Amino acid sequence: MENIYLPDLAVIDRIVDETHDIKTFTLRFASRELRKNFRFKSGQFVEASIFGAGEAPFGFASNPNHPEHFDITVRAAGVVTRAMHALKPGDYMGIRGPLGNHFPLEEVKGQDILIIAGGIGLPPLKSLIDPMLDCRGDFGQFIILYGARTPADRVYKPLLQEWSERGDITLLQTVDTPDAAWSGPVGVVTTLFEKIKLAVDRTVAFTCGPPVMIRFVIQELLAMGFAEERIISTLERYMKCGVGKCGHCAIGHKYICVDGPVFSWRQIKRLPER
Amino acid sequence: MQAGTRLVVNKQVFLDNLSLCMQKMTVIGPQKLRGGEVTFGPLRSLRRLTLDYVNDLDPLKRFFLPQREVLFAYDLSGKKPRLLQPEQEKPRLLFGIRSCDVQGLAHMDGFFQGACYDELYWARRRNTLIISMACNRPNESCFCICCNGGPWLESGFDLQLTDLGEEFLIDIGSRAGRVFLEERPMPAVTASRRHETRRRELMEACDAQMVPTAYLAKACIQITNNRVREELWEEMGSECFSCGGCTHVCPCCTCFDVVDCPEGAKSGTRVRCWDSCQYSGFTREASGHNPRARAKERVKRRFYHKLSYAYIQQDGHPGCVGCGRCITVCEAFGLLDISAVVKRLRRDGQ
Repeated sequence: MENIYLPDLAVIDRIVDETHDIKTFTLRFASRELRKNFRFKSGQFVEASIFGAGEAPFGFASNPNHPEHFDITVRAAGVVTRAMHALKPGDYMGIRGPLGNHFPLEEVKGQDILIIAGGIGLPPLKSLIDPMLDCRGDFGQFIILYGARTPADRVYKPLLQEWSERGDITLLQTVDTPDAAWSGPVGVVTTLFEKIKLAVDRTVAFTCGPPVMIRFVIQELLAMGFAEERIISTLERYMKCGVGKCGHCAIGHKYICVDGPVFSWRQIKRLPER
Repeated sequence: MQAGTRLVVNKQVFLDNLSLCMQKMTVIGPQKLRGGEVTFGPLRSLRRLTLDYVNDLDPLKRFFLPQREVLFAYDLSGKKPRLLQPEQEKPRLLFGIRSCDVQGLAHMDGFFQGACYDELYWARRRNTLIISMACNRPNESCFCICCNGGPWLESGFDLQLTDLGEEFLIDIGSRAGRVFLEERPMPAVTASRRHETRRRELMEACDAQMVPTAYLAKACIQITNNRVREELWEEMGSECFSCGGCTHVCPCCTCFDVVDCPEGAKSGTRVRCWDSCQYSGFTREASGHNPRARAKERVKRRFYHKLSYAYIQQDGHPGCVGCGRCITVCEAFGLLDISAVVKRLRRDGQ
């Protein structure tokens, strides 16, 4: 039996500065065997280690159709993430994963897709958007709404540009505080809802972002007439072990790390604390 | 000899055999400290062993989920980090563990198995023979009869001893327990009706001495249906010192923290150590967001985990074995231990 707390070693191939405090790390496992056999699904996450600093959970931020490499996007917020930001390409991290459940990707084929992301909530949704766009024809209307504090706080700026130039998806962006160059909408992400047209009975909404954003997004979606099971969100809690043992991420009797992080509103509303 | 068979062995003969085991394995048993307190620890001879005890305030879960435990060591001196797994411990025999703590182990067994199998816990569990001691006399804080936690058990042990005075009545609970007896030439007789009667009398006398009560059933219903007034949680939150004592001594509480402990820049260990849902930092995220920032929410959480139907269904039992330790350690004396809370919920009755 193996020690479920023992990470595998992964090498940093590339580091991209996304914002002043967010970086994206592209990783590959050191073991060839593992690199060959590793698979993950959209919405799953890893526990990433910096030995001496600790371990923290991050959602996959890249396309599961290309599992030989994977990305995590990290904001420097605590001890572990600040230590990560000091790393260089070629350095090692410890990785445990894939962990958790995943977004329903196959199940929503044929449906219209609405993605609502806030700030650093976009990375986990990118692991869903990427494979969806690989088979764009399998979905109907495809809308992405993205809100950030400022234009500079947006992650994946080149990719956002690419998406906005695509004719087959709609990307709307908004910021709380604009800068001189910003000509787009200003306001919280829910203000974008009035700019789009949806058929709620054939749309599935996916959302990820700060807890307060998620709360308002879900309220609006319900008001628009979305069925409870057509609202898919991620839940976030302080997490340690990632394997349902340490107890930190429990909400009611559900453990975000093994029963989540992906839940439908139907499931979330039954939890005793939200 | 089959599991379920009851034997009777002379007490001194059994203890002499236990003493012989001490050369080959780590024998952990109850011993008296200078102040008269009893604690469990490794024994090198029978000299320090005591049979005059009720229980250790420190829960015996610590021998399986230690307060602090190395998950692995890391060495960063080379080009590539090296990770070293902890070494396997020597076989152990846990002698004299009480029924409530055996039930606590059954709870932890359920929790640490499944899809995410915790090998560190199970390596110790497999490595340890459990010889439990049924209770003839409870503490003033014991209420195991309310939680199916004692005073004696049907299963969960390898051997269960009942102290009949000159003799031990022995229940065989597992193959390992049977092998332990077979490998030791102890003159044993099958328990007679007289022995069985004596044991029943002892147990009934023990039952009758239980003082605290914890009528869990109604509290379970109230908590499951969220039928406890928020004001009552609020009141209990205001009384709680958030010291975490109740969770640390609880045989059913398993939460832990994981931290790195560097020893210089190039090496160190990752350890897990007991944590408590009663600490405000338990759910605080790096962003500062804290879903259970208030003591009220944390007290509510603790009792949701102990008594909600969702957890009872998942675990097969409430998260309490009636050991009474939370009664002893609670800083909010008499207000927030499980027996007190169950009573307050019931009296508030909605």
